[in-house]
Amino acid sequence: MSKKVLVVDDDPDVRSFIVTVLEENLYIPVIAQDGVEGLEKIEKENPDLVILDVLMPRGSGIRLYHHLKTDDRFSQLPIIMFTGISLRSFLKSQKVLDEFKGAKVPEPDIYLEKPVDPEVLAEAVRKKLG
Amino acid sequence: MSPIKILLVDDEELIIRLLSMSLQSDGYQTVSAFSGEKGLEVFKAEAPDIVITDIKMPGMDGLTLLKKIKEIDPDREVIIVTGHGDVDSTIMALQYGASDFINKPVRDAALAIAIERAKSKIAIRKKLEEYTINLEKKIAEATEEIRRKSDFQRLLIRSSNDAIVAFDSEWKVVVYNPEAARLFGEAAKDVLNKLTIDELYTTKIATVFKKQVALETDQRNYPWKEQVIHTKDGRQIPVRYASNVLFENNEFVGTVNFFQDLTEIKRLEAELVRSERMAAVGQTVSGLAHYVKNILIGLKGGSYIVDVGLQRNNTEKLRSGWETIKRNIKRIGDLTQDLLTYSKQREPELENCSPHDIIHELLELLREFAESKNISISMEADNSIGWIKADPKTIHHSLLNIINNAIDACIEDENISKQHEVKIRTFVDQDHMICFEVADNGCGMDEETRNKLFTPMFSSKGGKGTGLGLLVTEKLIEEHKGFIEIETSPGAGSLFRVRLPYEKPDEVGGMEQGA
Repeated sequence: MSKKVLVVDDDPDVRSFIVTVLEENLYIPVIAQDGVEGLEKIEKENPDLVILDVLMPRGSGIRLYHHLKTDDRFSQLPIIMFTGISLRSFLKSQKVLDEFKGAKVPEPDIYLEKPVDPEVLAEAVRKKLG
Repeated sequence: MSPIKILLVDDEELIIRLLSMSLQSDGYQTVSAFSGEKGLEVFKAEAPDIVITDIKMPGMDGLTLLKKIKEIDPDREVIIVTGHGDVDSTIMALQYGASDFINKPVRDAALAIAIERAKSKIAIRKKLEEYTINLEKKIAEATEEIRRKSDFQRLLIRSSNDAIVAFDSEWKVVVYNPEAARLFGEAAKDVLNKLTIDELYTTKIATVFKKQVALETDQRNYPWKEQVIHTKDGRQIPVRYASNVLFENNEFVGTVNFFQDLTEIKRLEAELVRSERMAAVGQTVSGLAHYVKNILIGLKGGSYIVDVGLQRNNTEKLRSGWETIKRNIKRIGDLTQDLLTYSKQREPELENCSPHDIIHELLELLREFAESKNISISMEADNSIGWIKADPKTIHHSLLNIINNAIDACIEDENISKQHEVKIRTFVDQDHMICFEVADNGCGMDEETRNKLFTPMFSSKGGKGTGLGLLVTEKLIEEHKGFIEIETSPGAGSLFRVRLPYEKPDEVGGMEQGA
């Protein structure tokens, strides 16, 4: 049974790239264009993995990550960060949210900085989903 | 004060004894000698204040003694005692410088008068002497003070960091300090009191200073000016200079010029400009690299999808990949265009055009995307504005950029309950400028973002902006002699206003060009 992967990215070019990589590796892609839509899709589609962009309108990538990690329903949902900004900047943003929300979230276990080769992305997904 | 000492010289012992007694009782100290020769000896030994001598004596007579004493000290008071009617001797004694005469037999009253006179002469002379000495001392002190002051002033001029050159009324160099020597490259010894202003300066500068004197009737300071000095040895030195025309009692006495060498300052300024430019280049390059990287990501992704489409013979994938590639090729094209527009001076190409037509074209292009993001776009046109003379490319590029920004600001707004809209308005303002306003109710800008808007490669859109858009827009508008104005508030939205000169179209045969 194929696993379902949610791709949250506002850039259509990046979305179609990731979708193609997922299809090639026989996963079922689901897409969302920003963090808000991403959360809706997670609740509705119940994906096995989320590939999440950081820089999206309204800071929604940063927020969605923090939200998922602090929501008991989704804290175990595997996430691959797939982004143009450095890990250091991302962690800084999470720290700000930690302080703001009063909850500390763990660092993402897979953080891929663009550009990413299709093989590297596929390997990361396999690692998470087996 | 010690008592006055009187030397009595007479060959008659009795007379001396009588005189001594009388004088001593009046409080004088006396010494005596019984001959001219003895008298001279005692004079030398005792240095009396007054000498009273008889004229007629065996051996050295009184006249000879007088002469000798006067040779030793011309100021010494010598009173001569003469016989009655001895006119010749008296005249001789006068010639030798005797101070007084008493006739024989010596009467106390006459003696007292003569001595009083001698005493007052001594006193006057003493006073005079004191005055003289005092005067000499005062003159010496004053001279020293003047010397000290002039030394100090000379030192001041010598040690000044400014080059100081002064000319007398004949335009001859009279002050030329070491800094001046360094600046003009000529030694002081070859210049001071030798060269005139025309020989020291280039003709151009000399003329400037000379003219100044002709113009001015009163001493005053001139503002500092900058100039490049061409020295005789071929150096070019940037200087700041000031000049004073010197007047004394309304009479022109000379001029003084001050020069400051700006070489070092200019060098530092140039260095600062260079380092600022390097920093700007660094920022520009890193911004550019970031943007190009994003395009590269798009192209790589697109080519991967095309590869997959080819392998699988999947037209859908091929089309999607190819679209991605085309989109990114367009981004490169746009970027290149922006860079070229930004880097090149460009004259606006004025032609007859209809600004409203241009806006409608833009709205056709953008409306679909805006509506997909739930943003409404509206337009309020001032229909009195028909055709104008302007560069349609400037209007198109500027408004496209600003409207795009307005749409992005709505997408970026955190308040998703807001009905986002972009309003475009045209009108003619009181300065007779044609105004294009683009107002959005999107996220707005804080002060920091607002201040960086026209910084090269600054983008508030992550990797999605080139950081050149507004910069290019601003440049195009400035070249068009227009203005761009911004009002913004975080959370409330922004308003961009472009104002361009409102020129009526050319009447003859130009109407069809613009559309």
